[in-house]
Amino acid sequence: MVILEGKNITKTFGGLTAVSKVNFALNKGEILGLIGPNGAGKTTIVNMISGTYHPTTGQVIFKGINITNYKPYKIGRIGISRTYQIVKPFPGMTVRENVSVGAMFGAQGKNLNSKQSIEKAEEILEFTGLQDMADKRADDLNVASRKRLEIAKALAMGPEVILFDEVMAGLNFVEIDNAVELIQKIRDSGVSILVIEHVMRAIKGVSDRIFVLHHGAKIADGTPDEVLNDDKVIKAYLGRRYKELVQ
Amino acid sequence: MAQKGTATKGVILGILIIAGIAIPFFSGNFIIRFLTNTLMFAVLASAWNIIGGYTGYASFGNVVFLGIGAYVSAVLMEKEGVSLWLALPASGIGASLFAVLIGMPVLRLKGHYFAIATLGVAEAMKALVNNLDITEGNSGIYLPVMNLPVKEQYIFFYFMMMGVLAMTLVVTYIMLKKKLGYGLIAIREDEEAAGSLGVNTTLFKITSFALSGFFSGLAGSLYAFQQGFIKPESVFDVGITVKMIVMAVLGGIGSVMGPLLGAMSIEVISEILTNYFLVAHTLFFGAIVILAIVFTPKGIMDIISGRKKFGLNYLLQNIRDHRI
Repeated sequence: MVILEGKNITKTFGGLTAVSKVNFALNKGEILGLIGPNGAGKTTIVNMISGTYHPTTGQVIFKGINITNYKPYKIGRIGISRTYQIVKPFPGMTVRENVSVGAMFGAQGKNLNSKQSIEKAEEILEFTGLQDMADKRADDLNVASRKRLEIAKALAMGPEVILFDEVMAGLNFVEIDNAVELIQKIRDSGVSILVIEHVMRAIKGVSDRIFVLHHGAKIADGTPDEVLNDDKVIKAYLGRRYKELVQ
Repeated sequence: MAQKGTATKGVILGILIIAGIAIPFFSGNFIIRFLTNTLMFAVLASAWNIIGGYTGYASFGNVVFLGIGAYVSAVLMEKEGVSLWLALPASGIGASLFAVLIGMPVLRLKGHYFAIATLGVAEAMKALVNNLDITEGNSGIYLPVMNLPVKEQYIFFYFMMMGVLAMTLVVTYIMLKKKLGYGLIAIREDEEAAGSLGVNTTLFKITSFALSGFFSGLAGSLYAFQQGFIKPESVFDVGITVKMIVMAVLGGIGSVMGPLLGAMSIEVISEILTNYFLVAHTLFFGAIVILAIVFTPKGIMDIISGRKKFGLNYLLQNIRDHRI
């Protein structure tokens, strides 16, 4: 069952076409990977789903509802959370408060008062392994923990779909493995996930399907093995030596 | 650390409340009047703190709410014969409605642009009031005189202003425990992230501006009634905005009691300086404010609550942090 769908979405900035007639579909309970070279339009797609930008043409459909022109806060409330590639913690707040804000105003926020939201935040902190840092200020965290905090904030909203925008960039191998494990754990809890990532090792292991963007257009879509052996993808993104390297 | 901070705060608060209630019964009119004025600035600085401190929108036109509160009361009481008990809430509501109307366009701006726009709004409002018939233009407007002995009038206004201040502080304190407070601080820290977490940023900013306007409007109403006569130049004076911001910043923005401490210290210091240096007092006053900001840019509250060191190390750390 398709939960989130992009139909022919296009975004132009002045004369530049950042995303051109892209179709994609995220199934319920699936992890869908999105890869492509820098400037391919990956983050623009996330921004269009989350309401930061509105598509020039085309539609974004969530559970059968056209959400194309919704404002960001409304999209957060109907059940789509996102993280930011350049992390956006609330630096002056503690980690617990950061996560609480997600719980208060997200998809489940209506049913929780501020005290219950903080309790919910405790659960999320435990789930994401941040419980030991709950009282630290967000700007005292290292990169890996900040990325994890982004995930925790998005998760605290109680979403049905999460858009992960490069949550593994800048992490070392051990941290990447931990992040992959966390993303799988989140999927197992019933959330559908769109992952943008440059780290091939991670995206290959975690995604059920992958689609590839190049110069704003979709050039491939399929299982990780299909996509990563596709000639167009190798030429545009992975590089000719990729095949030799993996074999 | 936090425990010690809370205890210190509690003791200070207790002393303030007891002293605040007892003082007018042992003091002369001058002191009571001076303290009423200080309380008014504490209300204005605390109200500014809601939009400027917690929401991160530094309004340079908050005096407009004082002016509107003053004029709503003046017009209602003088022209319509309404009593203070109706004019006072009407002033607060009038100022907050104005905040909603003006906030819808102006709160889309950020940083310097927001500051300049609010400054412009206050100046434009002064010009408007100066030229309206209902406000009696630039000749000013009189308010009805209170039928009480002078001393009792002074005590009455003292406690009324204190009540408004208490209400401002209590509402701010409760707000911080509720979703509203978390949402506002999230907006201050990162507005885009707050939006994607589901905070209706437009609604929250307007609510914050309206709250700020409401309490400033109440202060304006009491100020006008106590003065008995107001002019646009005096109640829309941009100097009042500057004063409330300096008080809030000096006391500690983004803390409940900070603006109150800031108002008290500034009023006391400037009163003493005026007594000793009739001509040069603003010079000394400026020097004190600069020193205070350099040594405690996060305000007096920061020292009291024991979160930060004081003195040379702190100065050096601040220079590193803020690139003074």
